[in-house]
Amino acid sequence: MRKLFAFFKRFQVFLLFIGLQSLSLYIYFTFLSFPKTQIITSTNFVTGKILLAKNDVTKLFNLSNTNLKLQQENIKLRQKNPISLIQITRKSVKIDDTLFHQQYEYIPATVINSTFDKRNNYFTLNVGSLQGIKRDMGVFSDAGVVGVVHFVSEHFSIVKSVLTKDINIDVMVEKTDVHGLLKWDGTHARFGKITGISNDLRIKKWRKVVTRGGSAMFPKGIPVGKVSSIASIEGQPLWDVTILFSEDYRKIQRVYVIKNLLKTEQEKIESQIPEDIIE
Amino acid sequence: MIQFIKHFVRFVIFALAQALIFNQLEIDYGIQFMVYPLFIFLLPFDLNIFLSLLIAFIFGLTIDSISNTFGLHASSAVLIAYIRPHIFKLFEPRDSYDPGSELSLQNMEFRWVFSVFGLLLLIHHFWFFLMEIFKFNELLFVFQKTILSLPFSIVICILIQTIFLRKTKTK
Repeated sequence: MRKLFAFFKRFQVFLLFIGLQSLSLYIYFTFLSFPKTQIITSTNFVTGKILLAKNDVTKLFNLSNTNLKLQQENIKLRQKNPISLIQITRKSVKIDDTLFHQQYEYIPATVINSTFDKRNNYFTLNVGSLQGIKRDMGVFSDAGVVGVVHFVSEHFSIVKSVLTKDINIDVMVEKTDVHGLLKWDGTHARFGKITGISNDLRIKKWRKVVTRGGSAMFPKGIPVGKVSSIASIEGQPLWDVTILFSEDYRKIQRVYVIKNLLKTEQEKIESQIPEDIIE
Repeated sequence: MIQFIKHFVRFVIFALAQALIFNQLEIDYGIQFMVYPLFIFLLPFDLNIFLSLLIAFIFGLTIDSISNTFGLHASSAVLIAYIRPHIFKLFEPRDSYDPGSELSLQNMEFRWVFSVFGLLLLIHHFWFFLMEIFKFNELLFVFQKTILSLPFSIVICILIQTIFLRKTKTK
C-alpha cells in the first residue's frame, strides 16, 4: 500500500510536468496558424510597455542610419513631384483626379521587438487596432516587403514576418511575370526561396523580384529581393530559386502597414467563384 | 521571507535580462545566449518540486511573452525544473548538500558546478532547439545550434555567478 502511494505521488509530479509541458507546446504550435491568447504575447499591456521603453533606448543606436534611409526615400518621392518635372507640351491635359480612386493607405509604424534567428520570427509593432490595424494587413518598409499582420491588440500588433515558415506571399520576377510563392527555409536571414516556378520558364540571375499584388494584401511592385541562384529540383519539374532579400531584416526599424480600401470588395467578388468539384 | 524576496528579485532581473539583452544578441550560425536556466538552477535545491515546476512555467512564459516565442522558453524551463532534482541526486557529494546553502560557484567546487550546470544546459538547449525546429531531417542543424550555443551560455552564466553572487552564510 505504501509502495502504491509512493508510486502515485511520484506519478503526480510527472503528471503536472506533462500537463505544463503540453500546455506550453500547444500554445507554441497553435500560434502559428490560429492565435488565440493575448496574455502571453508581446501585445499585452505590460510587455508592450516594457518593449516601448526598450525601444526608446535602442532606437538611438540606429538613428543616423534611419535618417539616411528616410532622406533617400524622400529624394525618390521628390523627384516624382510635379515641381521637379518639366512640362514638355503645353497642350497636355491635367490628370482628372476623379479618375483615380485611392486604393491603398499606409500607416507608419515602428518595430519595437524583432528576432531573425528563430525558426519563425515575429515582429512587434507599436500600432494596434486603435490605429486601424487589422489581421492580414500587409507590412513593408522602404527597402522591401516585411510580412503580414498576425495578431492585433489595442495598442500593439504582431507581424508574421517574411522570416517565417508559412509566409506564402505571391511574388513575381520583374519584367518576365513569372510568379511563385515566397518561402523561407529557416537558415539565413538574408536569403529566401520562391517555390512553384515551372522549369520551362527562363529566369535570369539578379533580376528583381517584386510582389504580384494578387492577394489584396500588397499592391503590385513592392520590392522583395533579387534572384541570387537557380537550381533544378530532382524529380520535380520546378526551379529551386533562391533570392537575396532587399531588406536586411536584422536591422529593420521603420515600416508601413498597408490598408487596402478595396479589400472587402475584392474578397466579396472572389468568394463568388464556385469551388472546384472534387471527384 | 528574505529567501522569497531574493528569488522574486532574481526572477524579474533574469527574465528582463534574457528577453531584453541576451535575446537581442543574435549572431549568425544559430548561436543564442541563454542565461535564464541559471535562475532555475539557483532555486533552493530542497524546494518542493510542484512549486519549482510552477515557478519555471510562469518564468518561461514571462520570457516568451516579451520575446514572441509563445511557449518555447516555458517548455524548456519546465523540463529542466523537472530534471533538476534527479541530476542533483546523481551528482550528490559524499557528505550531502548543506541545507540552506545555495548551490552556486561560491559554495560548491568549480568542477561540480561546471558539470551539473553544463549537463542541465545541454538538455535545455537541445530541447529548446529541437522543439523550435521540429523536423527530424534537420537534426544536424539542431545539434549545430546546441553545440555552438552551449559554450557561450556556460561562460556567461559562470561569469554572472562569479561577479554577482556572494557566499551564503552557513550556520
